[in-house]
Amino acid sequence: MSRLRTALAAVLCLLVFSPFALSPKAQTKRAPSNASEGERRFRTNCGRCHQAPEAISPREARAVLRQMRVRAMLSAEDEKLILEYLAP
Amino acid sequence: MKFRWSMVVMFLVGCSASAQAQETVPILSGGAGFFGASAAGAQYYQPVLAPVLTVPLGKKWLIESRADLREFISRENGTSGPYQGEFFGTLEYLQVDYLANSHVTISAGRFLTPFGIFNERLSAIWIDKFQDPPVIAAIGTGRGYSDGFMLRGLLLASTGFQLNYAAYFSTLSTVEKFESQRGTGGRIGIFLPGTRFELGASYRRTLEDGGENSTGVDLSWAPHAAPVEIKGEWAHSDSGHGYWIQASYRLSHLTGSDSGLGRLEPVVRMQQFFRSKPVPDDALPAGNLQRPEFGLNYYLPHEIRLNGSYARQYFSNTTDSNVWEFGITYRFLFPLWPGGAK
Repeated sequence: MSRLRTALAAVLCLLVFSPFALSPKAQTKRAPSNASEGERRFRTNCGRCHQAPEAISPREARAVLRQMRVRAMLSAEDEKLILEYLAP
Repeated sequence: MKFRWSMVVMFLVGCSASAQAQETVPILSGGAGFFGASAAGAQYYQPVLAPVLTVPLGKKWLIESRADLREFISRENGTSGPYQGEFFGTLEYLQVDYLANSHVTISAGRFLTPFGIFNERLSAIWIDKFQDPPVIAAIGTGRGYSDGFMLRGLLLASTGFQLNYAAYFSTLSTVEKFESQRGTGGRIGIFLPGTRFELGASYRRTLEDGGENSTGVDLSWAPHAAPVEIKGEWAHSDSGHGYWIQASYRLSHLTGSDSGLGRLEPVVRMQQFFRSKPVPDDALPAGNLQRPEFGLNYYLPHEIRLNGSYARQYFSNTTDSNVWEFGITYRFLFPLWPGGAK
C-alpha cells in the first residue's frame, strides 16, 4: 500500500509542480489571420487525432512538425503552412 | 568502451549543433498519467510515463523514440491481499527517418507496425480516448512493434484527395526490449481532406512459424461541421476476427471549447471479437467477446485531461464482468537545448 501512496504522490507532484503547468513559456501568439491556410491544414490533418498544443516556440514547432511529417504523412507544403500557423 | 561513449557524445553534440544551425531543437515530449481500474472485483492502478524523444538532424533527417514506463499495481491475490507492483518498461519505437520528399520517407530501426489506425496514431496515452486498447489491437501488428525498415508517404496528393501508404519488412529479434517477429506488410489509405474521411486497408504476413496472414480495414471520419470523431477498425487473422467502432463528441460546439461544458467529451465504443481457434500467446481473448463502453473525457487547461469510463464485458467462456476505469493524463513538451523555448 505504501508503494501505491508513493506512486500516487509522485504523479501528483509531477502534475502540480511541473513548470509547464505553472508558468507560461515565452511563446509567440498565433496570428490566425496570417495563417488561416495553416490552421485549415492543421485541423484537416493533425486535428483528426489531437488538439493543437497550448503553447509552442518556433524551434520546438519545427521539431514537432518534422516528426508529424513522418507520422501523419504530411507533405512538405503542409509542414510549412502548419508551422506558420503554430509559430508564426 | 571509452571510445564508444566518446563517439556517442560526439554524435549527440554534432546532432545538437546541426539542430542549432537549422533553427530547430531536440525536444522531449510525451505524456504522464495515472490510471485506475476495477474489473470483476479486482482493482488495478498504473502510474505511467511515456516520453517521446525527437532529434531533427539537418533538413531531412530525424531520430525519434518513444518509451512506455509503467508500474502495474494490484492486489496479491487479485481481489484480496496486500498491494504489490510490477514495473514494465517498453521501448515502443527508436527509428531513424530520412525524408526524401513528400512521397517517400525511409525509416529504419524499431517502429510501430503500420496496421490499421490504432497502433500508429491513437495508442499514445494522451490521445487514446479510452484507457484500454481495442481487443483486436494485437491482430496484424506483431505485438505492436517491428524491427526493420519501412517506406511511407503520399503516393498522390491534391486538394481533394490523398493516397497514403506504408510498407515495411521486419526481422526476427529475440533481443530483450527489442523483440520483433519476422514479417512484412503495410497499409494504404485514401483520405478526403474536404470531409476529413479516411478509409484504409492493411495486410501483414508473418514469415515464421508457418506464416500467418492478417488483413484489416479502418475508417476515420471527423466532419468539419461539428466536433465529432468516428473511428473504427475491422481485422482478421487465423486466431479470429473482430472490430471496434468509436464515436466521440466534444461539447465545445455548444458553449465554446474553454467553457466548463465545452471541455467535456462523451465517447462511446463498441467492440466484438470472434475466436476461430486457440493460438497460444496471441494476446487476444480466449473466447468470443462483446464489449460496449461509455466514457467521459474532460480537457482541463495546461494539457491535462481527466477521463472515466464504464464497460460491460460479455465473454463466451467466462463470467461477464463490469469494468470501471478512471485516469488523468498530462501532455508535456520541452526543449533539450538551452533557449529552445524561444
